[in-house]
Amino acid sequence: MGEALTSASDAVERAFREESGRALATLARLLGDLGAAEDAVQEAFVEALRTWPERGIPDRPGAWITTTARNRAIDRARREADRGVREQAAAPPSPVAPPPDPEVEPVDDDQLRLIFTCCHPALAPAAQVGLTLRLVCGLQTAEIARAFLQPEPTLAQRLSRAKAKIRTARIPFRVPPAHLLPERLPSVLACVYLVFTEGYAATGGDALIRHELCDEGVRLARRVVGLMPDEPEARGLLALILLQDSRRSARLSPSGDLVLLEDQERGRWDRERIAEGLAQLDRAWRLGPPGPYRLQAAIAAEHARAESWPDTDWPRIAELYAALAERAPSPVVELNRAVAVSFAEGPEAGLAVLDAVAADPRLARGHQLPSIRADFLRRLGRREEAATDYRTALARARTGPERAFLTRRLEALSPPAGPAPRPR
Amino acid sequence: MQYLAILGSDPSLSPEPGTPEFEARSQGYMRFGERAASSIRGGAALEDAQTAATIRPGDGGPLVTDGPYAETTEAIAGFYVLETDTLDDAIELAREIPAASAGWVTLRPLAGWWPYDHEQTGARFLAMAYGKETPTDQPGTPEWEKAGEAHMAFVAGAGPAVLAGGALHPGTMATTVQVRDGDVIVSDGTLGEAGELAAPLYMFQAADRDAAVELAKGIPNDPGHTIEVRPVWERP
Repeated sequence: MGEALTSASDAVERAFREESGRALATLARLLGDLGAAEDAVQEAFVEALRTWPERGIPDRPGAWITTTARNRAIDRARREADRGVREQAAAPPSPVAPPPDPEVEPVDDDQLRLIFTCCHPALAPAAQVGLTLRLVCGLQTAEIARAFLQPEPTLAQRLSRAKAKIRTARIPFRVPPAHLLPERLPSVLACVYLVFTEGYAATGGDALIRHELCDEGVRLARRVVGLMPDEPEARGLLALILLQDSRRSARLSPSGDLVLLEDQERGRWDRERIAEGLAQLDRAWRLGPPGPYRLQAAIAAEHARAESWPDTDWPRIAELYAALAERAPSPVVELNRAVAVSFAEGPEAGLAVLDAVAADPRLARGHQLPSIRADFLRRLGRREEAATDYRTALARARTGPERAFLTRRLEALSPPAGPAPRPR
Repeated sequence: MQYLAILGSDPSLSPEPGTPEFEARSQGYMRFGERAASSIRGGAALEDAQTAATIRPGDGGPLVTDGPYAETTEAIAGFYVLETDTLDDAIELAREIPAASAGWVTLRPLAGWWPYDHEQTGARFLAMAYGKETPTDQPGTPEWEKAGEAHMAFVAGAGPAVLAGGALHPGTMATTVQVRDGDVIVSDGTLGEAGELAAPLYMFQAADRDAAVELAKGIPNDPGHTIEVRPVWERP
């Protein structure tokens, strides 16, 4: 009995992770209201926890959850109608007539609708990410709060405010029509990429990589490509994420320090991920002039192909960054271009690129600009100037490992003062 | 769903009357008015913010001062009441409003907008409430319901002076639309003082601004919001 109970609750947990997004998407379509759909799916899982240990796990847990959730929602709507609840302003639209079939079949469009709703540009980007992880990926609020190092009540409040906005401001539960897709797809892709990068290059705390977010980002990108196989930029994003993710374990030293691409042990790169990323990029590249994600994926692909740091095709990477700067200008792109130029043409040329963007206020608070500049100066042998820039970078770095890295670089510049240690 | 489209303009981007640019912008509004006619439930352009009067709560009764609620460069320049099925439809309209290109358009969902069918005899004034959000500004709370009753009594008492009344959802429900270089930028929240707009909104008619201010002093105002009275710009 104890064992059956454990395996049944494991099954419920697994079903929640795998099926709750799908069930929620289907219910939201049937009910036309995200909040009501969420309540119904939650009730269905409670029901599963109660009945599966006794009656066994159904053959198709997902379909069971969706059907049960639908039945609960209909029960509730009836109860409320009986009670004569007539809060016209606050009440969700009444459920549409339930389909005649006993099991509710999810359709791919339901999931896509849910993703587009969660990533609606009228929601703040942080809220989009939270909602997507909660509703599409089925993560618990506590898990998301932990991943983003936020107190759970703060995140819960942000999520409930976002859901209130979807309801109150009537953000439609739909895939945007074709003429709006070009302007709406970017926020979906940006949200997926944010989930991944928040895991891959954490912006706060002492952990540089949060693996659960990386995994979730890869899963989401795959799902989006599965749902929109002909969107070149969606596939480009998947390629980019796979290629970056191939380096995940090589980015950290055994002691948890950041290892730069330059110093990474290339044997630790995940060859399977690389092969898949290159194949996805190849398919995406053939779909027309490349957009920002495909260009970034192409840059990542150059690194993946190179035998070593010096062997890297730097002129090609500099060229790709220039193309990226043209399509999606940003100071961060210029920083990266400067690095590529410094290896293709020398640190002097890199400095010239940096100096052209040095005054950009968007770079005034990050550690990247002084950190990169310090590196160019170090390579040019201008040690004192390099030390000044490393110190500026150190003062701006936000994660522990970043600070540790910059400290090492700074210390390596100047041999410790005082008498040299006496040889034994 | 009804939305208050709040039009913000940057005075430095606003053309002088009589110039071809001013003409072009007026034409832009005319075109929008025609195209969106079936969705427009109301609206007005406002006189310059400096023509406003502000009523602040004081210990010995309301204090009236000349000038707007906030000295900002991007002041509210006008509004529309739009009625569409969804926020996406409202965004599609908002992007066509000239202010979206020369400033911003903020879409605040309306809990209600009630035009009254009174003959217009005086000049029009818009009364906007500003201040920190309180339970009175949150639809569904007992405070909101109670305030609603007070507003109904106020409207009944004011008679033909009230041309329309509205109740806004909180600023956290707002969406801002801007058009830059042909690209539509949609973002969560509000810009400028539009974020501090509280729930109640009135369109009055009165003989002059002083009369409108006297009227506005009677707006039910439990939480002590500041009320700005702005003359409506009438097409010459």
